[in-house]
Amino acid sequence: MSSSLEISARCADSTDYIELRGNIDASAEQQLQRLPEMVRSQVVRFDFSRAGRINSMGIALLLRCFKHIREEKKAEIRLRELNPTNTILFKMTGVFMLASHEK
Amino acid sequence: MNRHLILALFHNMTDENAFRPLLDGFPRLLSLCNPPDRDRFGGIMAPLQLAPSLVILSTRLYPESRPELVGELRRLYPRAEILLVTPGTDPLPQLKRIADDRIRHLFVTPDHDAEGILSLRQAISGLLTGSPWQLRDYVRPGSRVHEFPLNSSSQKELLIEAVEHAIAGDSPEMELLRQKGALLADEMVENALYGAPRGDDGKKLYCKGEDRLIDDGEQIVFRYAFDGETLAMEIADGWGTLAPEMVVDFLSRNQDGALAEDGETGGRGLFIIWRFLDHLHVNIRPGRKTVLGGHLRAVSPLDWESPRGFSISTDYACP
Repeated sequence: MSSSLEISARCADSTDYIELRGNIDASAEQQLQRLPEMVRSQVVRFDFSRAGRINSMGIALLLRCFKHIREEKKAEIRLRELNPTNTILFKMTGVFMLASHEK
Repeated sequence: MNRHLILALFHNMTDENAFRPLLDGFPRLLSLCNPPDRDRFGGIMAPLQLAPSLVILSTRLYPESRPELVGELRRLYPRAEILLVTPGTDPLPQLKRIADDRIRHLFVTPDHDAEGILSLRQAISGLLTGSPWQLRDYVRPGSRVHEFPLNSSSQKELLIEAVEHAIAGDSPEMELLRQKGALLADEMVENALYGAPRGDDGKKLYCKGEDRLIDDGEQIVFRYAFDGETLAMEIADGWGTLAPEMVVDFLSRNQDGALAEDGETGGRGLFIIWRFLDHLHVNIRPGRKTVLGGHLRAVSPLDWESPRGFSISTDYACP
């Protein structure tokens, strides 16, 4: 698992698909700050299948990023392919208040 | 230990009966169900001239139905430790009141099995003797304790890999334990690297994620042990800046995820550590040392929504 975050994005069928690869922590700050600029559609699907560890700083950055996407892009956020630990983590930290879990 | 009086307060007989097997073996135990309300409690208890060393309080009684009770207990028994007990099947109590009342010990009884009994007895004995929770209390005797003194932030990933490597097995339970262990090691190290170092004005000295060298005087040491079922971890730092009253306050702020949309709540890392552990311990020597740790099991009787316990010790006896 790559330790630093890599982001790739594509758009198809009126949906933005964003894949996150690697750990999400303080080192991901700049990338996650810029991520809302990539959003073009009203639905954004985040693929976490290749995401690694997400620590508390990573949670803070994701919350900020999702908030910007919802408020500035008026887009709906859906999260998929979360591992069990990240699913629990998102539940306990309120991430699912901003984004739905697509199983 | 037999000289210590323990006062135990329960909501009703059902509540008392649930805990009764866990409290056998303490000869000076006075148990009280549905204690009288605010106006009469002091009037009835004061003439008895009790001097309990420990008051055990069920969460079915406090904080929800009798929020004033701890204030009254503190007035009557200023020297007594207060231990909240809750069944693992009950919802997590609201922490705001618990934080405001500076409660430092919450114990969750997962089940009334032998392990639950032993653990609660250990918790009570530790409180009566002033002994802090320690990493080796959680794992089988003889389990190897691995120790990593840190001298650079760059060691974090190596240390996390070592924890992951120590958890052998391909079962889903072990994979989940590896994921949780890695996350907790990450949070513990981040807390010691970036949360603990503070200047005289109380402000943080380093930004999260900043590469930095660690001075010998910081004494940041990570320890872990795995006995095939239980993973125990703790981190020590020589700063001692975590105030005891801040611990439950941080947990309380993050309890409902209600502030999540603001991004920053403060103490989220500590909250995550607590929620993933079966029990969190924080031993603090103000200005000198903080030890933060706990354990989690591969097959835990607690699901993620179950309450978790904590113990915050300050004036403890040196181990």
